[in-house]
Amino acid sequence: MKPSRPALTLLAALALAGPAQAAELTVWHAYRAEEKAAFEKACAQYAAGKPGTTVTTLAVPYDAFADKITAAVPRGKGPDVFIFGQDRLGGWIEAGNTVEPLDFFLDEGVKGRFIPTTLQAMTYRGTVYGLPFNYKEITLIYNKKLVSAPPKTTGELVALAKKLTDKKAGRFGLAYAYSDYYYHAALQNAFGGRVFDEGKPVLNAPENVKALDLLLKWIDAGIVPAEPSTALITSLFNEGKAAMVFNGPWFLGEIAKEVDYGLARLPTVDEAGGKPMRPWMTVEGLYVTAPSKNKEAAYDLVKYLTDVPAATVMALEGRQTPSNKKAYDDPRVAGDRVLSAFRAQAETALPMPNLPEMSMVWSPATTVMNTVTRKAATPQGALDKAQAQVVKEVAGLRKRP
Amino acid sequence: MSRRSDEPAHGPIHLFLVAFTFLAVYPVLWVLTIAFSGKQSLALADLPENPGASDLLRAVTPWPERWSLQNFTAVFTDQPFLAWMGNSAAISVATTVLGVFLAMTAAYAFSRFRFPGQKAGMMSFLVSQMFPGTLMLIPLYIIVVQWLGLGSTRTGLVLVYATTSVPFSVWMLKGYFDTIPRELEEAAFIEGASVGTVFWRIIIPLAKPALAITALFSFMSAWNEFILAATLMDKEDMYTAPVGLKFFVGGFSQQWGYFAAGSIIVSVPVVLLFYFLQKYLVSGLTAGGVKG
Amino acid sequence: MAGRPSHRLRFGVGLALAAGLGVGVSYLLLAAERRQAAAAGEERRAVVATQALAELVERAGRRGEPARRAVGAWQAGHDRVRVARVVALEGISLEASTAPEDQGDKAAPRRLARDEKALYDQGQRLRAAVAANKEGGAPKAEIEAQPLTGGALRLATPVLEEGAVTGMVQIESTPSEPAPRPPLFPAILAFLGPLVLFGLVSAVLGQRRLPLAFAAAACLALGVGAYALHSLAAVSSGRALAQQALAQSVQAEAGAVRAALSAVGLHEAPPLRPGTWDADAYRRPRGLLGPDGKVDEAAGASEAAAARGQAERALWGVAILAMALLLLVGLGGFQKLAATLVANRQAYFYVIPAMVGMLVLVFFPFIYGIALSFTDSNLYTINQPLTDTWIGLRNYGDILGDFGVARRAADGSLIFNYLNFYWTLAVTVLWTVSNVTIGVSVGLLLALILNTPGLAARPLYRVLLILPWAVPNYITALIWKGMFHRQFGVVNHVLRLLGSQGISWFDTPATSFLTALATNGWLSFSFMMVVSLGGLQSIPAELYEAARVDGASRWQRFKAITLPSLKPALVPAVILSVVWTFNMFNVIYLVTAGEPGNSTEILITQAYKFAFERYRYGYAAAYSTIIFGILLAYSAIQNKLSRATEAA
Repeated sequence: MKPSRPALTLLAALALAGPAQAAELTVWHAYRAEEKAAFEKACAQYAAGKPGTTVTTLAVPYDAFADKITAAVPRGKGPDVFIFGQDRLGGWIEAGNTVEPLDFFLDEGVKGRFIPTTLQAMTYRGTVYGLPFNYKEITLIYNKKLVSAPPKTTGELVALAKKLTDKKAGRFGLAYAYSDYYYHAALQNAFGGRVFDEGKPVLNAPENVKALDLLLKWIDAGIVPAEPSTALITSLFNEGKAAMVFNGPWFLGEIAKEVDYGLARLPTVDEAGGKPMRPWMTVEGLYVTAPSKNKEAAYDLVKYLTDVPAATVMALEGRQTPSNKKAYDDPRVAGDRVLSAFRAQAETALPMPNLPEMSMVWSPATTVMNTVTRKAATPQGALDKAQAQVVKEVAGLRKRP
Repeated sequence: MSRRSDEPAHGPIHLFLVAFTFLAVYPVLWVLTIAFSGKQSLALADLPENPGASDLLRAVTPWPERWSLQNFTAVFTDQPFLAWMGNSAAISVATTVLGVFLAMTAAYAFSRFRFPGQKAGMMSFLVSQMFPGTLMLIPLYIIVVQWLGLGSTRTGLVLVYATTSVPFSVWMLKGYFDTIPRELEEAAFIEGASVGTVFWRIIIPLAKPALAITALFSFMSAWNEFILAATLMDKEDMYTAPVGLKFFVGGFSQQWGYFAAGSIIVSVPVVLLFYFLQKYLVSGLTAGGVKG
Repeated sequence: MAGRPSHRLRFGVGLALAAGLGVGVSYLLLAAERRQAAAAGEERRAVVATQALAELVERAGRRGEPARRAVGAWQAGHDRVRVARVVALEGISLEASTAPEDQGDKAAPRRLARDEKALYDQGQRLRAAVAANKEGGAPKAEIEAQPLTGGALRLATPVLEEGAVTGMVQIESTPSEPAPRPPLFPAILAFLGPLVLFGLVSAVLGQRRLPLAFAAAACLALGVGAYALHSLAAVSSGRALAQQALAQSVQAEAGAVRAALSAVGLHEAPPLRPGTWDADAYRRPRGLLGPDGKVDEAAGASEAAAARGQAERALWGVAILAMALLLLVGLGGFQKLAATLVANRQAYFYVIPAMVGMLVLVFFPFIYGIALSFTDSNLYTINQPLTDTWIGLRNYGDILGDFGVARRAADGSLIFNYLNFYWTLAVTVLWTVSNVTIGVSVGLLLALILNTPGLAARPLYRVLLILPWAVPNYITALIWKGMFHRQFGVVNHVLRLLGSQGISWFDTPATSFLTALATNGWLSFSFMMVVSLGGLQSIPAELYEAARVDGASRWQRFKAITLPSLKPALVPAVILSVVWTFNMFNVIYLVTAGEPGNSTEILITQAYKFAFERYRYGYAAAYSTIIFGILLAYSAIQNKLSRATEAA
């Protein structure tokens, strides 16, 4: 059945149920363990409500996933739907014949169900290419034994951290992977810093310099450990030697059972006029593939998976933080301190850029973070150098004919 | 065998070997430690502040604080790992058979015949190893999946693995065949044997040490390969063990304990295979054979 | 050799084949050029129509009744346009359509139906392209052309409002007549002429080989050359005609737009500039026509010359190929080849199975990679055919021509540019030499020790010593990285036990390099040990016995017997491990990741980063090809050296 009359089309676009044709849908994802089980359950629930429709899922190891998509999808050998973070989205759109634009299907009802920033992560040059499934970002995680009330501002944070730091005993008030640009971005974004401005790299923007200056102040105050590798932070926190950390949901599984931890929003930054720290958010999207033969059915599935029932399953059983706002109205989700803490943090989080050129930023930015935190370069000097390198590489890619 | 006067004394040799083997095995011991720790962290050892010598000594000792088999059981229960090991075994054995067969026939021709294109042929096997593979995934995908229609089949994977192992095997076997004296074959030819008979009855039995090495090499090139297996297979029940292993350490959360346990499990068949093949690498076997 | 055919016959057959090839391929090229020129002309005319329609729609208000009427009037004046559609992005609506299927209850204006999603997506794509081009992003087509069946075209171009794209017009042209095939007669003449001529001349020359060869070559040159001149003339005159036709269609188009404007009661103010409608994919005027729509003489001449030059190059290639075929057949090369194949059929029979596999699975990707290296293919252009992004040797020039390895800082110290090719090459060579040396010497030493007769527990040692090879290197490489961690690393713990301070291994290029070297040395010695063990088995014990009787010392026996006997097994293993180590991606990637500041990158990891971080596929392929060239040169030298030592 194909709706042909305009009125019917409008109806179909607005109706809750999509077209009722039978379809065999395939979905690729990179989940395992409870996330995989929850996802398969949500897919099965969808298929159960659609007689004649089957949903087959395939888990692909993350390390091979992007390559597999790039190899298979444009050649028509891929799935109907796949799940991936927004970081590769721009690249796949530019390479073409990989992800299907969804604006045509999107109505206000579906658009309105998402946390706006998550939908923004799925938008590339004004067009929406996927429905946001879930998001991840860092937040403040603290040891309840050491911190009774989490700090609200950086002033409080530094004061509290100084009190809890005892360098001789190897104790630190605050520990986070500050020399990793991804973690540092929370501070940078608080100042209004950014990597791209209208598609052009601006790594040495004055706001970015200010953020590094503040970080250097924290390092000089001695409240953070030197060379903060993720392994170091984990063991410090587990041994009660780091009172507070900035970290994401992936960290929770590594916290030792005996540590009683709390979660809170990242503090506001006094030095940035009281603006909140704004961590980068990575959003996993559900994408309909461009060569799919069942695009409408695939969109229907994607719509279902981002709706409240599926989002609740993914949240409670898959331990994901869904992008659907309404999922947090469920008392079981709202009552979950972890899920609600990351939901609260999402209010200030910014989607990480989805431009393909972002991949050229990481290596120079890592050099900036390493040299500046080791005092081998000034913030301005290091950022200028990185900016020059990124500009050169971007120009190398975007040659005019 | 009695020791001859100018042979070195065994005592120092053992001392050296024990020390070296310990160093060689040391990183593997850490893999074992992580596997048996029941934890998921890759961090090797924690230290108290101002560590004393004994603390340092404990920190460099690969010994789990608490022994647990939990990582091992999890590897098998978390995913259909046993079935994937089976897939790996089938694919690796097929690769070994095909790869060694292709290599030994080619190597025999290169060793025993003089023909135009011989040098170029040998070089082309070598040359094929020189072009870096990083950009080759997509063309390979096009050939295997689009042209040959072997996507998501064991055959496709076996073909790819066998051709990757053939160049080394050809060179290795050709070098070894060259050391086998021609007199033996010539005698057989005079008695009216065909090339095929000579090849199978005389050359192959004499080349067992080299065949053992090429077999081990072919097996390994299939057994540990991950990216092609994950890219070419479109069904979970057709995955191989390395693909299963990689599930533990991709993306945001990393289960190093599971990964270490899985790595140990995956290594066992290789060690066993070597254990059985090593009898062909024992001194004196061919020396007698050639004369006999 | 008895029964060899005469020189005359061979040259005759060679000439027939070569002339057939030369003239035949030239004919096909000419036909292809005609088809392509016709299609290009068709597309250009359609672009003009599309641009004109877009301008009309913009002047008529972009949406609503006037625009619809203007499109209707415009369509009435076009018999080569089947359908014209106007889409407005806001509201996803079809504003106007002249398609027969869009009448009645499907008439515009209406919301686009589900099966018309592609129409809306195309409009969005054009909007994004205009915005991206304005921002200075990678250039993107602002006019999309798509072939339909029978040579018809579907073209789309954006409709702008104050610089922003708010809609799109799309047209579908009617199927075009296929370009007429070039006449056969000149080709037949150019093929038969040389044969007849050669027949006559050879009757005079008899069986003398050299004169026959010259005569055949001259005849071939005459035939193929004459046909080439004929083809070039055809190409030139075709171009001139096409340019006039284009100018005419632009004039007609201007008339149609004026008529449509007056039909909806609009005046032509400001005046139309029909010459700008002949635009490239980025909506920039091509410059062949002046603003008034007349052909610009200089631009027209240079366009024709470009087409002629391209045809000339192709024809030269064909001529050279034909000449080569003539000489191959005429001088008997072909016959020899066939004879060789038959004589050595047994050897080829044994080699072919392995060869076929290699050809299909290794050499095709390899040739693709080399072709890619001559292009500027990147993320934005990957879907274009390689010929469109062809840049010749520029990638190689960029890589090899940059000698800025180091510069003097203000204080006089040297600052290295770690991204420079020659720095990376130096690191790679050092990396390969040191790794292979470690791997081979340790492996060989262990094999020799383990070969000691009567040594107890040998199987145990052997099995334990292959563990570094047997355990998946992904985890052991990361264990090694962990062992070098400054605070938790076992290596630093041991250093502290010995009373020294720990070292920040990954902070300086030299120490960082050492960590990768230790890891790879550990990973590779097992393999060398196994190979050496195998090689040792080919040495007859009698040789040692004899040497012992002669009173040779152990070192002498090692030098005189063991090393030479190991050579056949060891040399290929060494060559191959040089190749593998040169391209050892995993260890560098996992252990040092190029830190600090890309200084410990090797060529292969650098190529990887160019492909997957900077998305420059052509550049990365050039990197890979250079790697290949270096290794090829190495193996050639190695071959020479080992032959020289054999001779000595």
